[in-house]
Parts: sequence; C-alpha cells; structure tokens
Amino acid sequence: MKRGLVFLLVVIFAFSAFAKTKLVINSNQSDPAPREAFAKVVALFQEQHPEYDVVLNTFPHEDFKTLLRTWLNSKEAPDVVTWFAGERMRYFAEKGLLLPIDDVFADKPFEDYFPASFKSASEYNGNIYFLPHTWYWWSVYYNTEVFEKYNLTPPITWSQFLHVCDVLKENGVTPITIGTKYLWPTGGWFDYLDMRVNGYNFHMELTAGKVPYTDARVKKTFEYWKQLVDNGYFLENHSSYTWQDAASFLFRGEAGMYLIGQFIKDVAPENVKDKLEFFRFPIIDGNVGVYEETPIDGYMVPAKAKNPEGAKEFIKFLASKEIQEMYASELGRLAANKEVTPPNEHAKKGLDLVLASDGVAQFYDRDTDPEMATFGMNKFVEFMTFPQRLDILLKQMEFQRRKVFK
Amino acid sequence: MKKKWWIPYAFLALPLTMYLIWVIIPIFQTFILSFTDWDSVSPTYNFIGFENYKMLFYDYYFLTSLLNNIKWMVGFVIIAIPIGLGIAMLMDQKYKGSKFYKTMMYLPMTLSFVVIGEIWTWILEPNHGVINEFLRGIGLGNLAKPWLSDPDLVTYALIFAALWRQISYAMVLFLAGLQSVPTEQVEAAYVDGANSWQRFWYVILPALRPAMIIAVTVNVIDSLRAFDIVFVITRGGPFYSSSVMANYMYIESFNNYNMGYGASIAVVQFFITLGFIIWYLINSFKKEDNL
Repeated sequence: MKRGLVFLLVVIFAFSAFAKTKLVINSNQSDPAPREAFAKVVALFQEQHPEYDVVLNTFPHEDFKTLLRTWLNSKEAPDVVTWFAGERMRYFAEKGLLLPIDDVFADKPFEDYFPASFKSASEYNGNIYFLPHTWYWWSVYYNTEVFEKYNLTPPITWSQFLHVCDVLKENGVTPITIGTKYLWPTGGWFDYLDMRVNGYNFHMELTAGKVPYTDARVKKTFEYWKQLVDNGYFLENHSSYTWQDAASFLFRGEAGMYLIGQFIKDVAPENVKDKLEFFRFPIIDGNVGVYEETPIDGYMVPAKAKNPEGAKEFIKFLASKEIQEMYASELGRLAANKEVTPPNEHAKKGLDLVLASDGVAQFYDRDTDPEMATFGMNKFVEFMTFPQRLDILLKQMEFQRRKVFK
Repeated sequence: MKKKWWIPYAFLALPLTMYLIWVIIPIFQTFILSFTDWDSVSPTYNFIGFENYKMLFYDYYFLTSLLNNIKWMVGFVIIAIPIGLGIAMLMDQKYKGSKFYKTMMYLPMTLSFVVIGEIWTWILEPNHGVINEFLRGIGLGNLAKPWLSDPDLVTYALIFAALWRQISYAMVLFLAGLQSVPTEQVEAAYVDGANSWQRFWYVILPALRPAMIIAVTVNVIDSLRAFDIVFVITRGGPFYSSSVMANYMYIESFNNYNMGYGASIAVVQFFITLGFIIWYLINSFKKEDNL
C-alpha cells in the first residue's frame, strides 16, 4: 500500500518534470471566421514546435478588453495576447506591463518585415512592444443590389453623398445603418468627418487632448454630422442594436450603406458577400488631404509572461511571410508583412485606397485615452439621438477632456 | 459526556475563514480603495481623501444611476409584492391542475438573469420584437415604441423584464408563508361570519407578517444590486439613461480604469443596502421578542 503510494508520487513527479513547457495564448478573435483562421495558425506552430504545450484561449471582444488588465498584472500572466496598436498598446507599455520584443528583429530589422509607417504605432520609448499582424481599412460599405435598383453610383463628394441618401430615403430604404449599443461605431463617423473637415493633424491633436472640444472647428465637424441626423438618414433606434445587428439591415437590403471596417465581411452570409462593395468616405473640403482609418491588430508579450522565450518564438513565427499570408488570405484582410500581396481583388482595392491616402489614423478609441473614449462615444450616441443638444454636449466633452488630460 | 465548548467553532472554522477571505477582507479593501486614485494598472496609487465621494455629487451619470435604482426599488416593492401575494393566494387553493399552474408561475425563477436578459432583448426589439409586433397586430401600432432606445422609457422596460422573474420570487416566498397561517384561525373567522375579504385582511395578512418582511427586504436588496439584466440588455445605454449603480460602477472600474472611483460607488451602494438589512434584522428580532 505504502509502496504503491510512493510509486504514484514518483510517477507524478516524473511527469511534471518532463512535462512540456506551456505556452499560453489569449486571443480576442472570437467571431467564427477569424477564430478558425487563428486556430489553424496556432495548430501549425504546435506542429513545428513540439517542445511547447500550446494553449489557446479565446474570449469575446468586450470581455477581453476588461480581462486584459487583470492578466497583465497577474502572476499567472499569459505569454502572448492579441491587442491593438497605438495608444492602446502604449498605455500598458508606459506602465511597464509589456516585454520589449526587439530581440525578434535582431537578425532582420522591423522595417524589412513591415511598412516603415507601422513602426511608430508599434513602439514606445525606442523599444518595440507590438507585432503588427493584420490590418484593415474602414470605408463606406454599400449593398450593390440596392444601388443598382435605384440607379445610384458611389458618391465622391459630400453633396453627391447627400443625394444618394436622399434617393434611398425617398424609396423607403434606410440610407445609413449603424448600431450604437456598444458605442464604438460612432467613433468612425466622428473620425472621418473630423479628418475630412479639419485634416489629420488637427484630429490627432484633438484625440491627444491638446485641443478643446469647444473649438469652433470641432463644432463644424458636428454640423456635417447633424445634416445626416436631422434628415433622418441613420437607422432608427440605432442604440438598440449591436454592430452585427445593424449589419443585417445592410445584408437584407433594408439599408443602403454602412461606415464600417473590412471585418463586416466576416459576418456576412455567403450569398451576400459578393454584393458588398465600398467607396471612399466622401470628400468634404477639396483643400484638406484624404485620410483613412486603418486600425492595426497584432500581438504583445506581457512583462510577467512565464515563457518569454516561447512567446518570442511564436511572435517571430507570426511575423513570417508564410503565416501572415495564410491568415490574411483566410480572412481577406491585409497582412502587415509587406511581402504578402493582397489575398483577393477586394483586399487589393482596399490596399489601393489606403496607398492613395495622405495618412492614416487608428481609431477614436485607439487614438485617445480610454476614459475619454467611453465618455466621448456616449456623447456621440446622445448627439445622434438629440442633435439639438450639440452645444451642451461639446461643453461636457470639454469638461471631461480637462479631467482626463490633466 | 460533557459538551466541549469549542466543538461548534471547530466546525465553523472553515466556512468562517472562507467568509473572511472572500467577503469581509474585500469589503475593507474596497473601503481603502475608495480613498485612492488607483487606475487598476499602475503598481502605485495616491490617497486622495474624500475626493472620489465629492465627485459623485457632481457626476450626472452617477445621479441618474442612483435615481434609476430608486425606480427599481419602487417597482419591486409596490408591483412585485402585491402581485406576488395575489398569485400566491390563488395558487394556495386546491383545484384541478393547480400543481401545473404553480409550476408555470415558478418557471421564470429557474432562469438566470442573463438568459432572461437575452430573451427580453428580443421581446423588446423595436422592429420585429414580440411586443411591438403584437401591438401592431391588434391595431395599436401607435403604442409600439422603441423600448430600448428611448431614454425616457428604457428603465421602465428593463424593470418590466426584471419583474417577470421577481414576481414569481415573491410568490414563492408568500406561498411558503401561507403554509404557516393557522387554519383554525381562518376557520374560526369563517364561523364568526367574516367574509373572504375580512378573513384575508384581518387574519391571513397579519399572520403573513414575517413572510412580508422577508419579501420586502429581499426585493429591496435585489433592486439595489440590479446589474445582470441592465448589463445584458442595454449596458446602461443609451448614454447611461438606463444605468444603475452596479452597472456604472462596473463601467467606471473596468472600462474607464477608475478603480478608486468605482470603489466609492460600491461603498455608497453598500451603505444603502446595509441600512435595509439593519431594518430587516431589527424587525425580525422584534418578532422573536413577541413569541
């Protein structure tokens, strides 16, 4: 009896001594298509690196955002996490919660992998903390069937855009769909309008908290937005819907257009996918440059990662042309690795759109402080419901800006 | 054998330790946290005195949340309790199929708030939701409202959804209470010529006093800690108009990185709830004295 127990203990000990090192990856790629694609990438890594025991945990987007901070502070930190480039990453880097991954680029510099412009969004204080993986463009997506039915062509200028909205509304089609339950789709409207009206530099100063929201230029941005709200061009009761709910109006042809990222293709039913096209957000002022919104998604290594070697190995694996190509072509997104060509016509059109632009922003909630972003986007929804409150809303946003950017 | 005084404590040691670790200590930690400006990420924080509490008074969204909690409380007490009592009186009768109806009435209780939230999200959906489709179907289309996006209606819509479950909860409490109403007294009142309303008002209701105290207290506490349904259906939106304290605390702490400020909301909520628990304890002790 006693001998049996000793034997059991020895066996357990032996197993734990020879157990493979764990590599824990926490991912926010929870929509079915990206989830499947990423699982394939991880499976391939496991195949090539049998010395690790790779564990992939996937969490819904919204939960991931709140859980990430707990993980970064915990002793049981994961080894690799998905995240967003720019301010969102820097927020953690400046608090010392991330591990610099410069080693990964020891034999081949960052610039040989990725476009030079990605570097500023991936570094903090001269160190690289973020591995760009895929990126996508925002644009006005439209249902080609609806446009054909009413003989509409994609608008280029603001007045053409208003005309399209007008025709759709007259025919009982919701011109623009949007779901504001989770707030962030409003950020796209604010970013694009502000960049089209006031340009990139002003927009970046505003999101960095250097310009008051009560500035006349901000108000001008909202006045363009107000034209759409006052005319009833947006989906009714938009605050009841998530972005996916709102997308279904576009898929069914009950709505004509949707300002959204390329990821809308992830959730579109097969028979609708080919009917979705996009056009550049209309030009408001010809003297202002053309700027686009291109959020970069990627990976970081927590400072408290248990297996930093394995994590960097995985990061290097993710940076490679083959893997970036595999993941991007699976989803029709654009790979960050510049050697990878766009996976299809649609992605090529997206890449051309971005290459023809004068500069790119990340996104409102990635370019500004998180607290300011929650507050501001709540105000955007309020504005879209009660546009007559504009002046007081701007004052409240300004009050918040002073509180956040002390 | 003489009873050893420490035996009950030995059995209580484990649960008490767990209670201490998981409940008592975190409460005190929350208190401390509420006097700091901790952002839940930085390794350090500053003590800022009552600054967080002062800010609450100027915070329009916090005040909205507090007001909404009061609406929840009023709804839970003046709607859930009388209706729950009424249904319990009906269910207490013996008639054909009474067991079936009892089970039907009890069913919402078995669902978690998250499930209830998902169900009601669809029922209240403005275009194809059951309620609006029904109203349009019977020609009352002008009563069909955007229940979840109209800031003036949304809180009432959420309370309505929560009441669906809360009423059945109240019913269960009263059904249990009715078992302890002495039948001799009710029969004696019947013999004395009291009509059914008089029997209810002068005999049954006073006998239900303990059940009533429990029902009121539980409903008040449930209304103060309302969170699940709000979080699932609206997340407090549109623009915080349906927010409640617990929901606002969650957003401040976990979305906006204001752990200290979130803790101060938790402390306010704690004291309001504590007030009601003390009231409940005083009442239940009074009852024991009378025996």
